[in-house]
Amino acid sequence: MLDWKGWIEVAKNWSRLKSNTHRVLAMNRRNLHLIYPNNPRRFFPQADDKIYTKEIMEKAGVPVPKTHRVYRYFYQLESLESDFEGVKDFVIKPAHGKQGGGIRVISERQGNDWVEVSGERHTTEDIKAHIYDIIFGIYSFDLHDQALIEERLIQHEEVNWLSPGGLADIRVILLKGKPVMAMTRLPTKASHGKANLHQGALGVGIDMATGRTIRAIHHGREVFHHPDTGREVVGAVLPYWSEVLSVARRAAEAVDLGYLGVDISLTPQGPSLLEINARPGLEIQNANLTGIMERLAEPAEGLFEY
Amino acid sequence: MRLFTASPNQRRTVYFSLVAFLVFFPLGIMAYKLFVLDYPLAGLIPAVSYSTDVTMQVTGHGDDMMLRTYLPRSDFRQTVTEEANASGAFTLTFENDGLNRVGVWRGERVTGTHTLHYTYTAQGTHVRYVIPDHLEIPQVYPAGLKEYLASEEGVPVSDPLIAQTTAQLFPKGKPTILEAVTTIHRFLQDQFANRDFSGYTDALTALKLREASCNGKSRLFVALARKMNLPARLVGGVVMESGSKRTSHQWVEVYVNGHWVPFDTINNHYMELPANFLTLYYGDQVLFRHSTNVNFQYHFNMNKRLVPKREVQNKLRDSVLNIFNLYDVFQRIGISANLLKIILMIPFGALVVVIFRNVVGMETFGTFLPALIASAARETGLVWGLLAFFTIILVCSFVRRALDWLHLLHSPKMGIMLTLVVLIILGLTVLGVNLSLFDLAHVSLFPIAIMAITAERFAIMEAEQGLGKAMKIMLATLVVITACYVVMDSLFLQSLVLAFQELLLVLIALNLWLGKWVGMRLTEFLRFRYLILRGEEVK
Repeated sequence: MLDWKGWIEVAKNWSRLKSNTHRVLAMNRRNLHLIYPNNPRRFFPQADDKIYTKEIMEKAGVPVPKTHRVYRYFYQLESLESDFEGVKDFVIKPAHGKQGGGIRVISERQGNDWVEVSGERHTTEDIKAHIYDIIFGIYSFDLHDQALIEERLIQHEEVNWLSPGGLADIRVILLKGKPVMAMTRLPTKASHGKANLHQGALGVGIDMATGRTIRAIHHGREVFHHPDTGREVVGAVLPYWSEVLSVARRAAEAVDLGYLGVDISLTPQGPSLLEINARPGLEIQNANLTGIMERLAEPAEGLFEY
Repeated sequence: MRLFTASPNQRRTVYFSLVAFLVFFPLGIMAYKLFVLDYPLAGLIPAVSYSTDVTMQVTGHGDDMMLRTYLPRSDFRQTVTEEANASGAFTLTFENDGLNRVGVWRGERVTGTHTLHYTYTAQGTHVRYVIPDHLEIPQVYPAGLKEYLASEEGVPVSDPLIAQTTAQLFPKGKPTILEAVTTIHRFLQDQFANRDFSGYTDALTALKLREASCNGKSRLFVALARKMNLPARLVGGVVMESGSKRTSHQWVEVYVNGHWVPFDTINNHYMELPANFLTLYYGDQVLFRHSTNVNFQYHFNMNKRLVPKREVQNKLRDSVLNIFNLYDVFQRIGISANLLKIILMIPFGALVVVIFRNVVGMETFGTFLPALIASAARETGLVWGLLAFFTIILVCSFVRRALDWLHLLHSPKMGIMLTLVVLIILGLTVLGVNLSLFDLAHVSLFPIAIMAITAERFAIMEAEQGLGKAMKIMLATLVVITACYVVMDSLFLQSLVLAFQELLLVLIALNLWLGKWVGMRLTEFLRFRYLILRGEEVK
């Protein structure tokens, strides 16, 4: 917003920008024409509650990370020591977390301590306190929440080459069961290993037919290389691409949300669904340099404009 | 559960009918008020008032101290409201001195320099008199007017020089009242030079020099009028105008047939007085008196303020629409009209916020927070309001991070934040009073709970997305608060909505329209500019 050079460009190209807005799906139209008619409010928990999402997906046979345990109440934390016996690595997630908040990825055990992927060491008491915070609702803005302990996914080695700094995910946007657009998000040091574009992860647009990466953006600017490794991220072909799209389709079929974003990770065994989003963001268009409106065959039904 | 279903066509019909109703129904009521009830459009033009701060500075050397000055009174011509005193260790008492009201400040064993403030808001009206030309000067007056005919210090009515002058001015002897006051006014206005001299000039000196400042001219006017058997008195006051001034002013009133008619021979106000003349006292007085050796300094700081007129509302009383007369309703339960005005303006602030979010595309803290802060900032003024808001949010979010480190549960933590907001607000109020920043002191009207929640959001955003992002949204919030303030402070809108409260329905219609608007937000042009222009040259 304080990008004054950008504003000058906007001003200079105003008439051409104005006449080509139909390409882009912008926020007002996304809400009014895609989310409200396709995602009735009562089905939002299917996406917002990660435990519920996993239940639905498991029933529909969509691959998801294995759940070790769910902590719903404070008293359940008493058995934490024994619950984690024999467990080497795991992920803690708040069921209602937003934008990756409250997620801890534990990669190994050293003596009595747990080591996070970042290298940070935690005692069992620290882990307990974190789960306590989650249940209390720190990461879900005042809701009593549940803490989900699940299997830590190992990344497919080709994806790991692109994204050694953390678990990359593939976001596929679907409308009425049909994949519309996709990108993969590669964590960076700046994003603290999180696949979150706002925090500095790379957004990489994907050719829907082939799974080839076509364009990358970092903080909204086009790049070609990973800022941490210097490796080229454009032109790579993602493994298991047709399986990724098929998992995304099956996930979309399993829920009652007509317009959604499906987040998938690639393991050596194939795609695994991380979560779904009932209000998928718009930055995917910049990663692909293509507007979502250009991909929608017909205008959304049942709407009127003035 | 679905409450009701509808086809797109039905929905469209309901939507358009609703918008049409919400536009045309209020317009109908407005037309009724304007053409049937005959609302005066002039009533929509705001009235002028001046918030005045009388600042007095003294330096003590360990002795008891006394200061006194005349304070204005409300009368048929001027209204004085919102009086407030801030005098630190000095105690204020009010005394009556004939027609005048005196403020007396006393301090015991005062050392060092002290600044005293007495503030009020004054609103005047322009008055003009007409004296019938046949009216004779009466031979006798009621006993109560005797003092206004007598000689006094500086006004030697019986001096031969005064008699000689009236003889020259009225060679034919007995003029009518109108002839007498007109001749004296023109004599002083046209034949005496105005001098910008703040010292004391008596009537005879003024007469001999043929030049004088306001007090000399006024004394001579009084002396000549009294000599002609017209009761007359000096009036002291200030000419209200924005800015800081140290000069007071004097003019004259002549008693005619039960009325005191004003004359000002410095500014040539003949039987009239402008709205910005504020009367402080009657008689030949000194505006400020004080103990000796205190290095007394004073000035008047005045700010012009516009206030909406309420006269139009009175038209409503006699009509069928009177049940909607919010003024009467609010008055009956003792809630000030000022609060009514604030409430009526909040939907306008909300509309500004909606436009900034959905049309401009600026993200702010809290959906309607900017409108609420802007309405609270009415009392502090915009600059102090923004500063106070910024300070409170920053300090609280900093403390929240410290509390985070302690690992506290959420609700008790929010309890601490809320208490902290209260403490900061109290601190700013005390600071404001002590530094004589009275506007800042009104920060206590800020919505406390909302401030605490905003500080929490700021802290979360800072932790999750960095200080840069949080500051960006803070800046956007300040911008939207400013925009809300400007709109909500618009006297034209205030006057309009006070007279036509049905306009709020039009605001609903506007929101309905914005609620169906799917255009690109302004910031999205920035965000997607390369995508939209891809393959083309970007200039």
